[in-house]
Amino acid sequence: MASEKESRFPSVLSSESIRVIGETIGVSGLADEAASFLAEDISYRLKLLVQEAEKLKQHGKRRKLLCSDMDAALQMKNVEPVYGHTNKDGFVPFRHASGGGREIFFTDEKEVDLQTVLTEQSSKLPIDVSIKAHWLSIDGVQPSLPENPPPASKDLQKQEILDTTLKASTARLHKRAHPEVGKHKHHHHHKHKDTVKLKNLTTHELSVEQQYYYKEITESCVGPDELKRSEALQSLQQDPGLHQMLPRFIAFASEGVKINVVQNNLALLIYLMRMVKSLLDNQTIYLDKYLHDLLPTVMTCVVSRQLCLRPDMDNHWALRDFAARLVAQICRNYSNNTNNVQARVTKKFSKAIQSETAALATQYGAIAGLGELGPEVIKSCLLPYICMLGDRIKSANEGSALNSIDKIAAEHIKKQLMKYLPNVLKSFHNSTETVDEFNVAYGYLGHMMYSMFLQKEKNLTSSTSSVHTLATPRSLQLTQRPAQIVIQQPPSTPGAASSSFLSGTSSLAPVTPRPLSSLPSLPSTPTGVSAQKFVIVSQARPSTPAATSLTSTSVMKLVSQPPTPITPTNSITTSQKFVVIQGGPKSDETSSSTIRTNIVTGMSLPSSIQPPTSTTSNITGKESL
Amino acid sequence: MAAKTAAAVEKKEPTDSADTSVQSDKQTLLAVLQFLKKHNLKDTEDLLKQEAKVSDDDLKTEEDKKSEVSQALAVYKSDDDPSLYEDLYRNLKNFIDSCLDVHKVELSTILYPVFVHMYLELVYNGHEWNAWEFYSKFWQDQEEHRHPDLAILSSVRKRDHMDKNPMLSSFRSSAFILRMSRDSYTHLKRHLQEKRLSPLLTIIQDHLFIDVFDGVPRTQQQIQATGGALLGEVDKDANKAKVYYGLLKEPELNIPLEEEEEGQEGEEKPKKKKSKKDPLLMKKSKNDPNAPQPTRIPLPELKDQDKVEKTRAFREAMRRAKLDHSHMPSVCFYTFLNVYQGVTSVDISDDSSLLAAGFADGPIKVWTLTPGKLRAMKSPDDLEMIDKEADDVMERIFDDRTASDNKVLTGHSGAVYATSIGPHREHLLSCSEDGTIRLWSLHIWSNLVCYKGHNFPVWDVCFSPHGYYFASVGHDRTARVWATDHYQPLRIFAGHLADVDCCQFHPNSNYVATGSSDKTVRLWDMLTGSCVRIMAGHQGTVHCLKFSPDGRYLAAGGADCLVMLWDLSTGTAVAQMRGHTLTVYALCFSRDGTILASGGLDNSLKVWDIQKVLAEQDTEADTTVPSNISVNDSPSLLLATFSTKHTTVLGLHFTRRNLLLGCGPYSPPPAPVTPS
Repeated sequence: MASEKESRFPSVLSSESIRVIGETIGVSGLADEAASFLAEDISYRLKLLVQEAEKLKQHGKRRKLLCSDMDAALQMKNVEPVYGHTNKDGFVPFRHASGGGREIFFTDEKEVDLQTVLTEQSSKLPIDVSIKAHWLSIDGVQPSLPENPPPASKDLQKQEILDTTLKASTARLHKRAHPEVGKHKHHHHHKHKDTVKLKNLTTHELSVEQQYYYKEITESCVGPDELKRSEALQSLQQDPGLHQMLPRFIAFASEGVKINVVQNNLALLIYLMRMVKSLLDNQTIYLDKYLHDLLPTVMTCVVSRQLCLRPDMDNHWALRDFAARLVAQICRNYSNNTNNVQARVTKKFSKAIQSETAALATQYGAIAGLGELGPEVIKSCLLPYICMLGDRIKSANEGSALNSIDKIAAEHIKKQLMKYLPNVLKSFHNSTETVDEFNVAYGYLGHMMYSMFLQKEKNLTSSTSSVHTLATPRSLQLTQRPAQIVIQQPPSTPGAASSSFLSGTSSLAPVTPRPLSSLPSLPSTPTGVSAQKFVIVSQARPSTPAATSLTSTSVMKLVSQPPTPITPTNSITTSQKFVVIQGGPKSDETSSSTIRTNIVTGMSLPSSIQPPTSTTSNITGKESL
Repeated sequence: MAAKTAAAVEKKEPTDSADTSVQSDKQTLLAVLQFLKKHNLKDTEDLLKQEAKVSDDDLKTEEDKKSEVSQALAVYKSDDDPSLYEDLYRNLKNFIDSCLDVHKVELSTILYPVFVHMYLELVYNGHEWNAWEFYSKFWQDQEEHRHPDLAILSSVRKRDHMDKNPMLSSFRSSAFILRMSRDSYTHLKRHLQEKRLSPLLTIIQDHLFIDVFDGVPRTQQQIQATGGALLGEVDKDANKAKVYYGLLKEPELNIPLEEEEEGQEGEEKPKKKKSKKDPLLMKKSKNDPNAPQPTRIPLPELKDQDKVEKTRAFREAMRRAKLDHSHMPSVCFYTFLNVYQGVTSVDISDDSSLLAAGFADGPIKVWTLTPGKLRAMKSPDDLEMIDKEADDVMERIFDDRTASDNKVLTGHSGAVYATSIGPHREHLLSCSEDGTIRLWSLHIWSNLVCYKGHNFPVWDVCFSPHGYYFASVGHDRTARVWATDHYQPLRIFAGHLADVDCCQFHPNSNYVATGSSDKTVRLWDMLTGSCVRIMAGHQGTVHCLKFSPDGRYLAAGGADCLVMLWDLSTGTAVAQMRGHTLTVYALCFSRDGTILASGGLDNSLKVWDIQKVLAEQDTEADTTVPSNISVNDSPSLLLATFSTKHTTVLGLHFTRRNLLLGCGPYSPPPAPVTPS
């Protein structure tokens, strides 16, 4: 009968529990009928109690029902409350135990050793209640104070973009809140361009403080002071209140790139890209609205024909790599079915690769861009065109010896391919294939690809260390380091005479290019990259005194960086923690496969500095491949 | 035992309708007689009978009443086939669905009461299983705001449960009130008669009161703005009485205003001020036809100090900032930090100098919001030595050694649910879960009086704007009006069908408004003790009330996240403001009544355009026909939203210069709990 009832009415105590409860107070052998009657009645009374407790919760101005509410509700019903239950953390940990055909719920109570309590340091006294005043609104405008929430949450920004009606209504609200401002703005618009009126409903009035902030930040970002710059970048990355100023910052970056590409000012382009990266890393802003401005800007830095004054010497490759990573980051965060960003970006890059006339530098950028988008993209958009690329490299190498620019570009493309391809090849081919098959498939580059493939295979069989699996293309982005620390350029290399306009000011040093030709003389480290830990295996390195001092400061930065909050999404994409693993002398294979990671970028992201640590690999050997 | 009987009587009282104050006296008497009889105190009984002139007949009828419960419940008795109910209800639903759209909305209001009473009938006749099936099939069809009530209903599964359930007793004792146009009503009547749906007809006749009016059927929005209360809409006769909502004539102030100002301000300013001030003074001195007689309710006489205070208030009011849709208020927010026990109530004194907060564990803390410190009076011995003729005697009586930014008042043994600072800043009232109301002195910082009477948690307490009187409401379903020098209440207002959750004094001290868990707001006359307005429209517990500065309008906010505005002259809803996402706990009109601020559990403060509501209000409409009443619920009434950072808005207050003060406790979101 009892079970029948239970199936009929939900939320009724089982008569079994009633019997158990009865036994605890000395009533044993409760008849079935009595127990089920009691169960129903008690359930009813309990529900009444919960309703009373609910009232107490409401008047306590809380969102959560507490044990004390139940106690007070019992008191209201003239019943002695059940003392001793508290929900400190918001839940009462009832435990369930069954055995001997019984099911019991109980609360877990730990035994407390008084001795330890006595010897323990007494806990801190709680701080007394206090009041703190702040301006929630000044004449209807909420000031940006730490006490106030950020003006627009990310969700809200997202909503605003997706929901056009909402946008219109908020715009209307906004306008009503500042009729003068709105009127003025409209007047303004009418005067100059009538078309803008249709698009731009929201007014972006900046307060004086915001204008000052904007000025400071932009000046520091492109100014000569490296310390100020890193501060400014950090602010861009973390400040929750940038929403309002976003249009200005985006415009600043896109305009800056437009101008500096024409002027081939590599340093400024790098600074601007770092600024974009900081904005992308900021978790409180939603950039979807600005992608139309942002993407072309970043893409320009990936595939532009020329980014610096002397393409043969300056390290614009690093900028291309960096920008390519930004593109990938944008795709990951903002690509959706409506805007199809990733598809469009991929198409653009593919076009550049398939083009016969595109500059090699452009193709390099396109490879980087595609490579960063992941193995699937590489497989479908890059592999089929290896033959074509091979032909171009061949013609560059075999062409007139004078055209060093093309030669360098060709080398870089090769390296780039080495960086992205092996993992894809591994899944594409099996170990039984021969060089000839590769040659047929990939033409001029077939040989190189085959050796790459073989090495990968060997690595896999020789060691199962996690290093290899970690050396995925994506993680490569973490291995940037400031060039000036790494390179001891032999005076004979062209890099020694690195661009005068950059070395003119010491602050611009991070972009000192490092031509490929200097590589052989370098002490280099086979590196593996992990997104988990931050281990630096550093050794005494042969370096000039100046370089040493610089290095030490870089390491300082490294140490100081970890506190920056990294949220899950961005830790995947741009994790700033890495492991520098020392390659053993035997690991020639390892080093050659991971040497790709060693491509030095000219950008010094404060966190991603990787000092060279050992001198093991044989780079010349690899290059001959 | 005696206490229990008394409590039972008290409990029964409120369930009866409002005009039972005389009757309730008699009931109490009869209850005492019964008690005496039960305990065989024959002589005393006879004596009392003689004295009270109660005849045995009366007693007998009372005895019959004793079994009233079973009697009242007996109305649910029926011999109909339990399985029939489901078909009947479905039939009714289908009929309403098939009606024309104009009637559909009005007719569909009948479904909820029919559902409730059908369920109760099934339960009463012991068809538990059918009742549960019936409930689970149709409960989701009911409007969402009914669901909490339905949850209570569903917990009742046996006839025994029905007698003591507070909600059911109100369903039993009063009819559910519906209003519909004649067209809709005839439609329904024809259908019921044609189909001979006898049980349905009985239910509608017995438990429903359908108020038929001549006019066009109302729209969904109109019905929503007036329905929703526990027992449907308000009887049309309930709001007929005249309400003197006008303000009292301001007493003549002997202190010359101009002179003082000239002394303080420069030479040029007073001229400008004069022109501005004149209308302000004129308005006050004019005789308002809607104002009650100044002597209607005896008010305490003004002391010299009060006059000084009033002068100051006037002067401040002159510098009042203009607020409307283009002049938005500035908000200064006071955040309570390190609140371990939870702030349960806050109040700011009228002159914005004191902030009082009650805490969940009992203490009350008072802060000063001005640079002036809080000081206690000197000890009696020291006071003896003060020169009482000195001009600064008020200054001298305080002990500077006790100066501090805040003071703690300890005495309550439960959460403090409301605090109210008196108009002269001498006294503070507080009410608590422990069932008491305490009066504290803000001069000697200690408890003066403890008013007992509610017995159950007291949810709200509120000083009259003129001092001396105060109102309290509580879990016992009554509102009481007290005078500070009486330990017993002067008035007990009974009539709400559930807990009374908030109260507010009218600016002219002649009326008290109360909001309740039965989802209605009532206005009570201090003089007669009768209920002069019942306003339904809220769909959840009403948690805060505020009168507009001119006394004509009443704003209410509650658990249904709505803010409603009522016109007291007619008792009709004027505006319905939606926007909050959680319970509204605080309301405040700007000093000129142009905007309304609201705040609550959803960590936001919203500002509403009252000026617009009043401008768009159709004052000409004939409010006797319900379909003529239009309720403004346009989303454009919301002027602005200011969000706080995890801070609940519990208190709002406009200073005399129209600066908005808000306060509430900071409660960071709890870290996600990971059960071990």
